[in-house]
Amino acid sequence: MTEYSAFSHLTIGQYLPYSSVVHRLDPRAKLVMFTLLVAAVTFANSYTASVVLLAVLLGVVHLSRTPLRYALQGLRPALPWIAVFALLQLLFYRNPYGPDACSTIWSWGFIDITSCSIRQIGLMILRLLEFMILISLLTLTTRTTELTHGLERLLSPLKRLRFPAHELALVFAISLRFAPTLAGELERIMKAQASRGADFGEQGRLGFIKRTRNLLPLLVPLFLSALRRAEDLTLAMEARGYTGGRGRTSFIQLKVLPSDYLALALVFIFCAIILLGGLESIDQQVFTAVSDCASNVFGFVRR
Amino acid sequence: MQSGGRRSTVRKIVVAGVLGAIITLLGYLGPAGPGFIPVPTPAQHATTLHVPVIIGAILEGPIVGLVLGLIFGIFSWLQAGILGVVMFQDPLVAILPRLFIGITAWAAYAAFRRTGKYAALILAGSLLVICGTFVYWALSVNALLAVVLGIVLLALIAGFVFLALRENRELQALILSGAVGTLTNTILVLTMLVVRGYLPPEAALVAGLTNGIPEIIVACIIVVAVVGAWKGIETRRAGSTV
Repeated sequence: MTEYSAFSHLTIGQYLPYSSVVHRLDPRAKLVMFTLLVAAVTFANSYTASVVLLAVLLGVVHLSRTPLRYALQGLRPALPWIAVFALLQLLFYRNPYGPDACSTIWSWGFIDITSCSIRQIGLMILRLLEFMILISLLTLTTRTTELTHGLERLLSPLKRLRFPAHELALVFAISLRFAPTLAGELERIMKAQASRGADFGEQGRLGFIKRTRNLLPLLVPLFLSALRRAEDLTLAMEARGYTGGRGRTSFIQLKVLPSDYLALALVFIFCAIILLGGLESIDQQVFTAVSDCASNVFGFVRR
Repeated sequence: MQSGGRRSTVRKIVVAGVLGAIITLLGYLGPAGPGFIPVPTPAQHATTLHVPVIIGAILEGPIVGLVLGLIFGIFSWLQAGILGVVMFQDPLVAILPRLFIGITAWAAYAAFRRTGKYAALILAGSLLVICGTFVYWALSVNALLAVVLGIVLLALIAGFVFLALRENRELQALILSGAVGTLTNTILVLTMLVVRGYLPPEAALVAGLTNGIPEIIVACIIVVAVVGAWKGIETRRAGSTV
């Protein structure tokens, strides 16, 4: 039975309650900065930009006083995936830039290792590292309640365009609030079914349809009890005259400090440089310099 | 438990929130929990996290489906960053494709329930054209895979026509909706993986075929069981409650 009891100790998010510059920033400012940085990471398409981004993100991790191993806790499970993805790219990569754009480094049979496939893999690994750090930073330094409040405030100017900002934030809040409740519910259902002799153990991979059917006595009551709770909550909210976000005041008042504006401006300028600064040309220069240097060294050795 | 009359906004918000909580819970428990089913494919597990999205779309319409897709996307993205699931750390892969699951699932459900025989045949015809184009594209990548894909898609369309010509619509609409929602998830995610340069097209096609089919079966079983039990439709296994 004890194997089912772990479910109720469910903590969503992984907030670390330190006190640092990053923790104290306004959640709205944090969300905007996070979005900007995510865009920068997503569209950064050169080594220079990626390396600079990585360095800056590591700097922010240091600022937030978060231990680096927390920020990079996903790295070890990610390593086999990265290896598989890199291998697939090495084996099957076809460059979309035409035959002249890439120089072949090594080729054997149908396998061509070109400068383009190496570049693809290098950029992919850097990008994944940056996403990992960014997501960990946001979730380690911000409470989930702060995030939903920040999101609602941030989207509230869109209410004029009939965008349901308040409703969307409420959906998120309900999701976060109900996850532990449903975890307790799931635990109860599992115990109830196990006491009737149900077996949720491994069945071998080929019998996945059977396993799905075995899970139905678990999933169906879970969904039904969730939907029933939804009915109750709907009734309760309607009975109390819930009318949506219009004219609603909030218990938590967010205040934007000068430091928030400063951080926002810094991140904005940084992302603009990353995205529009033409950092690809630096890549090219570094690459030519390195290849010159390498050919000099090889020439010297050969002589 | 069904209320007659107009669906209220409050109900939509709450149902979306509660189903979002199920996504969060199943995702949080990970492969050890009931949200992942071991299958004999390279990806190891068929996910069921998109099933609440499909169910929400069926019960409360496309907007709820869209919001649930957003929750699913954001959650799998954040989870990927923390747990190191490489392919979903890119928001264009993790979030963008998920927005469409609920919309297509709802469209399939609503369209199928309302269509007559001829409309269903026209729908099957247009599906045939779309799938034909896709297979033609796949043919340029790999002939053998394209043939396998063609056979699978043809079987699916034939199944659709067969279901369309039968009487009791609700059950068939649920099956179709589960399959379409899952297909949307699989195809769009793999397309984004190729577009963003994580996977070469061949690998994506293989992954789609091997993991997509078990996921469709699993999703259909759960969707039929849950929505059937909630709406009180006669299925072979009526919902058991505690």
